[in-house]
Amino acid sequence: MKEIAIEIRNLSAGYNNTIIIENINLEINQGDFFSIIGPNGGGKSTLLKAILGLIPIHKGSIKIFNKTPQHGRKYIGYVPQYAEFDTQFPISVWDVVLMGRRNVRGMHPFYTVEDKEHAKHALEIVEMKAYANRHISELSGGQRQRVFIARALASQPKILLLDEPTASVDKDIKESIYHFLKELNKKMTIVFITHDIGVLSTFVGRISCLNRYLFMHDDDRVLSKEMLEAAYSCPVELIAHGVPHRVLDEHKHKKQKKESP
Amino acid sequence: MIDSFFELFSHTFVQRMFAASILASISCGIIGSLVVVKRIVFVSGGIAHATFGGIGLAYFLQYTMGWIWLEPLIGAVLFAVGTAIIMSVPLIKQRLREDSTIGVIWVVGMALGVLLINPVDRNIIQMQDPISILFGNILLVQFSDLLIMVLLVIVILIVSMFLFKDLKILTFDEEFAQISGINVGLLNLVLLVLVALTTVVLIKVVGVVLVIAMLTIPAAISGLFVQNLKHMMILAVIIGIGTSFLGSILSILFDLPTGSTIVVFMGFLFIFLLLIKPFLMSKRKNPSIL
Repeated sequence: MKEIAIEIRNLSAGYNNTIIIENINLEINQGDFFSIIGPNGGGKSTLLKAILGLIPIHKGSIKIFNKTPQHGRKYIGYVPQYAEFDTQFPISVWDVVLMGRRNVRGMHPFYTVEDKEHAKHALEIVEMKAYANRHISELSGGQRQRVFIARALASQPKILLLDEPTASVDKDIKESIYHFLKELNKKMTIVFITHDIGVLSTFVGRISCLNRYLFMHDDDRVLSKEMLEAAYSCPVELIAHGVPHRVLDEHKHKKQKKESP
Repeated sequence: MIDSFFELFSHTFVQRMFAASILASISCGIIGSLVVVKRIVFVSGGIAHATFGGIGLAYFLQYTMGWIWLEPLIGAVLFAVGTAIIMSVPLIKQRLREDSTIGVIWVVGMALGVLLINPVDRNIIQMQDPISILFGNILLVQFSDLLIMVLLVIVILIVSMFLFKDLKILTFDEEFAQISGINVGLLNLVLLVLVALTTVVLIKVVGVVLVIAMLTIPAAISGLFVQNLKHMMILAVIIGIGTSFLGSILSILFDLPTGSTIVVFMGFLFIFLLLIKPFLMSKRKNPSIL
């Protein structure tokens, strides 16, 4: 039997007194390629923050390799949305990747030779070694995404957790990022959230849909219309394309009502 | 002209002035860079202005309690660190909007200073002119001031070097800092205390009101030309020393208020470099891309 990487039981979480996700049950096995899709405001980021131990849990539990998020997150390499970064910050690609070693090195004031080896290796994996001395503002969106993946890889994580890995990059780069993640999946568990279901269908592993509640869908490679409609609470078109099911990501949210507080 | 220039340095007050501006530049280059990249210029402004209350308190206690040993700069340290702590209290951070907290601390500190200084009889207590507290008078730096400044700069240097790696992560990506096992709340407090100590070092040079200028402008100028936090700090120190030297000399030669001269000089230099930067960088940058 596979080891359970992330186990979530009856989880409710949110900010202050507002509950955003409710009664979530989830098991992610080691080696899974796991995606969580759902509309904006559906609680994807909240779930991610809860897994990382960044927000308090209202009810239920999260275990990462059987440890609490605060202790278990050292096994996680986290890749945030690159769009949120201050590109004016005076920092090179190399410095960003070295940061990934902080949770291994701790309070020690300097990075060691070992840290630098791991950082170099991580840059090699994402094929960005030639850019080590570049400033982050000199990179394209896809390149920057790779750098943040390298930062996460530098700590040699067992799980790679990505927040909207393909937000605001164009379609070709989207595909290449998913291909790359699929490649990394041979060595580690990949978990990511996205609202972009267009590319997903060709790269599916296990999929779940989150819109306050979580809907699991464990049948590989098929996205059902019902499942998506449940998640998005609006009709979603599905068409077959030779490849088992391709999802059109063009759909309007007209019928979607504001979430009740 | 050259003779009179060198003659300047034979005066003790001029030597002290340069010692003070070097100390100020070291601390403002290092901490100012962090302030600029973390975008907490106005948090620092609040802390800086609140120190006026501490200086007032020191004079008030000298006068009413006879505590002559209580140096105004010690009062400033107390208030600066105190406000840094207040702004880091989680409850205050969560319940109040940050800029409101800054606004309250900023003005209450200033008003408190005025109230406390008001009753002090200047015939009994030797007191600096409030104008020079507010706008600085580097020509009046005393030996005891220099001692306090040296002490503060040593603390700032040691702490910021030891924590440099973590401070870089914190200022770049706070969420990642937290995930990486950094105590973000505590490190933010340490950063604000470093800012507090830096503002105290700067008060003697440019005064309470103009502290933000020294904290911001050298680092901002430096940030125009370098793309690495450590280099930004080093260049900011050099720019700070250069501009405060030149500013002080200009102020002596033309008999102008020093603090304001330094700040205006820095400000003009910043605007000038900002304007000519595209021409400077275009020559250098193209070959490195190819």
